[in-house]
Amino acid sequence: MKNKNTLSSSNTITRRGFTQMALMLMGASTLALNGAPVHADTGQLVFVNWGGDAGTAYDKAYGAPFEALNGVVVKQDGSGPTEGAIAAQHESGKPSWDIVDVDPFSAETLGKKGMLEPIDYDVVDKGKMREGFGWEYSASSYFFSYIIAYDAKKFGDTAPTGMADFFDTEKFPGKRAMYKWGVGMWEALLLADGVAAEDLYPLDIERAHKKLSGFKENVVAFWGGGSESQSLLLNGDASMALIWSTRARLIEEDTGGDVKFIWDEGLISPGAMAVLKGNPGGKENAMKFIAAAQDPEKQVVMFEMLGQGPANPAADALIPEDEARFNPVDAANFAVQLPLDMAWYEENYGAALDEYLKIISS
Amino acid sequence: MKSIPRYILLFGPLLLFLGLTYVLPFLGVMRWSVTQPDLGFDQYATALSDPLILSVFLRTLRICALVTVFSVIGAYIVTLLWIRGGPVLRLVMELCILIPFWISLLTRAFGWLAMLSNRGILNGWMESIGLINEPLAMVRNEFGVIVGMTHFLLPFAVFPLATAMRNLDERALMAARGMGASRARVFWQVFLPMTGSGILGAALVVFVFALGFFVTPAILGGGRSVMVAELIYLYIFQNPNWGLAAAISVILMLTVGVLMALLMRIANPAGRGNG
Repeated sequence: MKNKNTLSSSNTITRRGFTQMALMLMGASTLALNGAPVHADTGQLVFVNWGGDAGTAYDKAYGAPFEALNGVVVKQDGSGPTEGAIAAQHESGKPSWDIVDVDPFSAETLGKKGMLEPIDYDVVDKGKMREGFGWEYSASSYFFSYIIAYDAKKFGDTAPTGMADFFDTEKFPGKRAMYKWGVGMWEALLLADGVAAEDLYPLDIERAHKKLSGFKENVVAFWGGGSESQSLLLNGDASMALIWSTRARLIEEDTGGDVKFIWDEGLISPGAMAVLKGNPGGKENAMKFIAAAQDPEKQVVMFEMLGQGPANPAADALIPEDEARFNPVDAANFAVQLPLDMAWYEENYGAALDEYLKIISS
Repeated sequence: MKSIPRYILLFGPLLLFLGLTYVLPFLGVMRWSVTQPDLGFDQYATALSDPLILSVFLRTLRICALVTVFSVIGAYIVTLLWIRGGPVLRLVMELCILIPFWISLLTRAFGWLAMLSNRGILNGWMESIGLINEPLAMVRNEFGVIVGMTHFLLPFAVFPLATAMRNLDERALMAARGMGASRARVFWQVFLPMTGSGILGAALVVFVFALGFFVTPAILGGGRSVMVAELIYLYIFQNPNWGLAAAISVILMLTVGVLMALLMRIANPAGRGNG
């Protein structure tokens, strides 16, 4: 799933990759990253996800059924639609992507710059989303959380109970791992610093960064992709990590329960789908695809395969009882967590991330 | 006179290819650096005054310098054994030089993770023989980056050194021995200075190569933006500020360009004859 995949995309020689990129960004070429030339209304859709296992899952849950029903081929592209990559698509004048898996706040930022189509809520059904999770330029498609995973073998019966414990290396000795791109980390820092949940937003970035500066020597790594976060815990490099809930289940299973996780004070983040302005496959088909992906049974497939919490509340009931504990939006789990404020992120993310990176990189 | 057109004919396609795929896009990058978001040199001013960017530039230079020193020293020993060793040693060294070229950069970086992480092979071994009680932090920091990069770049330093050692005039060594110099003295005062140009060439190849490293620091550096190539990636994709990314790229390219010019000088010193 979300796998901001800096590693596999740089598998090729840096210079070649860079040249390719530069060419594309210049607008001197209409080639997509995958090298396929693009034509308008090709009767196909390109769905861009974050790589790893996501392509297979998206194809099984949404792509293949959509093709069977509408005769439109849905191609999966795992190159990772970062803000810069979407902007590059737009700058080229002829985007080769149709639908992207994005953070809603990114979508709002890009949409207001004219790079994305507004969601057509006549086609996409707001009634099939949780209250407050439909935006102008993107539609809620799943949920995941930033949660604490810990080395249960090391800490024995004393499990951490919240963010204060994550930043307490006396009570819970060992190194930590945190997310490289800031999201959710500011909230965790502030909660640990004693800010009440209801007073979190607008985030006091200065206070969060002060806490981070004092703590960062305890952080062994800032992971940028899901698989990296898994290996940090598996290799024992970190005794506790803030990771995506979608990976928590995998780690728990891979370690036979030696690494456990908690939902307490987890930070719920919505994932969303957005459509590129002037997309080659046509706006109508793209909206239809997003609407088709609202089907609760298909969303359960995504839960089974990638651990995505369903966007459509009707899907919760379809999840087997013994697996509900892995669902970030299951009523019991949702109750102990906090949702991220997308409006705050839309407004402040870029500047906050800049400062955050300065602290972790110096 | 006749050889000029043929020379161009042979090199023409390559130059055209490089021009289209490399120079042209780079001109675009240069254009961005002075047009995004506004016309002017603001992005260069930022790039050369922002504490984060400066610290990454400095760290990049420091890491590259250290990697260069370690690679060249290591490569010097390897090359010496390769060129001047017996047949068996020669074969072993040849394999040591060649095998790394067959393994991908990514595989090697992950290999170092498996080797050096807390539950890695080395820490496990040192703990089992009682050398250490707590695992040593050897990856996800600058140390790990330097180990990984040195491992990758060492073979590249071998070839300029090998050329220098092969071209060395044996008679000079014999003369030094004949005049009563000890083996150590022959090495330090004759052999080493005479391979000086090879050492400089090797150092420049490694240093220039190291400047643009991306994958190894990304995997072994613990997610902090350790080196400048990662910073460029960051400003292109993650936190888009293309003008700034372009300005940093141009600065990096200029640095590489100056160093390459220096390399050409050393590799092909004008006006230095046989005398």
